[in-house]
Amino acid sequence: MAKFSLFSEESNRSPLSRLWRKFKSNHPALVGLWVFVALTLLAITAPFIAPYGINQQHGDALLLPPSWHDLGDVRFILGTDDLGRDVLSRLMNGATYTFGLSIIAALVTTLIGVVLGTFAGISKGLRSSLLNHLLDITLSIPSLLLAIIIIAVLGPGLLNTVWAIIFALLPQHVHSVRNLVVEELSKDYISAFRLDGASKLQILVRGVLPNIYEHIVVIFTMALSTAILDIAALGFLKLGAQPPTTEWGAILAENLSLIYLAPWTVGLPGVLLFIAVLSTNLVGDGLRQVLKGRKVD
Amino acid sequence: MLFEYLLRRLSLLLFMVFTLTVFTFSLSYLFPGELLANVSGQVNPSFSQSQQLTEKYHLNEGVIVQYLAFLQRILHGDWGVSLSSGQSVFDHVVKLFPATLELCVYALGVAILVGIPSGIVASAYHKRWPEKVINSLSLLGFSVPIFWLALLLIMIFCLGLGLFPMSGRIGLLYEVEPISNFILLDIVLQGFPYQGLAFVDALHHLALPTIVLAMYPTTVLIRFTRDSMLDVLEQNYIKTARAKGLNRRQLIMHHALRNALLPVIKQIGLQFSTLITLAMITEVIFSWPGVGRWLIDSIYQRDYPAIQGGLLAVSMFVILANMLAEFSHTLFDPISRNQAHGKV
Repeated sequence: MAKFSLFSEESNRSPLSRLWRKFKSNHPALVGLWVFVALTLLAITAPFIAPYGINQQHGDALLLPPSWHDLGDVRFILGTDDLGRDVLSRLMNGATYTFGLSIIAALVTTLIGVVLGTFAGISKGLRSSLLNHLLDITLSIPSLLLAIIIIAVLGPGLLNTVWAIIFALLPQHVHSVRNLVVEELSKDYISAFRLDGASKLQILVRGVLPNIYEHIVVIFTMALSTAILDIAALGFLKLGAQPPTTEWGAILAENLSLIYLAPWTVGLPGVLLFIAVLSTNLVGDGLRQVLKGRKVD
Repeated sequence: MLFEYLLRRLSLLLFMVFTLTVFTFSLSYLFPGELLANVSGQVNPSFSQSQQLTEKYHLNEGVIVQYLAFLQRILHGDWGVSLSSGQSVFDHVVKLFPATLELCVYALGVAILVGIPSGIVASAYHKRWPEKVINSLSLLGFSVPIFWLALLLIMIFCLGLGLFPMSGRIGLLYEVEPISNFILLDIVLQGFPYQGLAFVDALHHLALPTIVLAMYPTTVLIRFTRDSMLDVLEQNYIKTARAKGLNRRQLIMHHALRNALLPVIKQIGLQFSTLITLAMITEVIFSWPGVGRWLIDSIYQRDYPAIQGGLLAVSMFVILANMLAEFSHTLFDPISRNQAHGKV
């Protein structure tokens, strides 16, 4: 890190476009972003573009291997399961449940986290402590156990697991948003802004939030990768999505007994989960690196 | 300063324990089913029995009296009776929790032994190929769903190569008297029965679950150690040391490492909550007779007293582990005492 750069070039681009330029130069992160966008599109459009219905059974084509296999059939590109359902269609629809619902869960978590965190950040003393530690108890309850309790109270189901995941993720995000806000509030430009007579709301909206929203996006990606893994894990334990819902973890659990006969029905949902989490983490890591580099500038 | 810090921490601990017990207590109201059955674990008691139980659990009195009675029962080890087995929940917890703890401790040990050195290597070779390899591997390990990894390993090592057993803690051939309920410790305490074969067998059973469980904390520790090291290496005192002519090795061993590892201690303590979640999944897949599998069976069987007991035990353990890590971090690092005052 050089203190003086001899060939300094004035850069008048907006922070966002500078962020994008730096992000673009990190190729794995860029690939991750494209995969992420593709999965999001798939999650939205899957019911319309899937070749078959999720519960459409083909009695003449049970347990067909993927089409590149000698015994495969080109009608079913990724093969069929024991009820003759097209694996490709089921996996495509799974994106809606696993990926789409995770995005919603992560968005809700981030939103509530930002609201509670900023309030904790701008208040002082006991009130700040209270807001900050209000949900701390769920930090000490392992997320799966919390999900089990919520399921015990409300009954199993996909939506209940989403609530469980939101509750489990929330306290960490409240803490990190609060730390961001407190750190930003202690900076000189905020003091100058305050001396200019800005109200608390103005400081928050004009001063703090524009400077931390990129960090909030990083927090969002962290929440998202955890949410995907948790939804799938709960589906796998038969506590979340119930079959015939096409959640990836649930598909995996449903086909577990076929692991010898038809390994593709177990392997493929796992591969998709892996890709989804990996792309999210790549984007998050790329963003974090750019933000870290910006501090050095 | 230290005293004030401890006081703040202690009050937070008390607050956590208080909310935890209130939450656990209120669950018997929140769970479906009859209150009396949820509290006592007795299904369909006779009239005189239910009178007695109502008396015992103070169900006719106010909520606060009930809560105090609940606290007293918890302290005396009367955690109710499991609906499915009819045995005391406390006995179940005492028997099963060591198995989970054993798995977690070994996994954490592997994570520390692998994660911290890899993190140090990655930071020492910043922006060169060792860092890139370690980074990519840790990102892969960070992203893999644990149940899928477990299934893959079972497919390769158990079904394919036949190297490791698939389930349980020890082969059925061996009988080990449970003394401490930690299987390796028990075998050692009994002086390696079966000429040490039982010990080897137990290690074989441990191998795959430990690897699966260690994957996530290892990657977290790698990333955390590397980031922390890189932060420290940017500091001015490191530049001074370099200007004095120390080589990279001396720099890292004598100056950077100690300060970089301080936040890692705290991070290790924070891993326990995630570790137990992952242990629950691992236990289900490998049929490990621990508290996680028991809890998941309890939810299948709607065994509410068991869930309550498990929640209390596991969460208390996580709270204590976090506090311990926090305390040791504070002991080692005077700066954190000064600036934070126990504010998180």
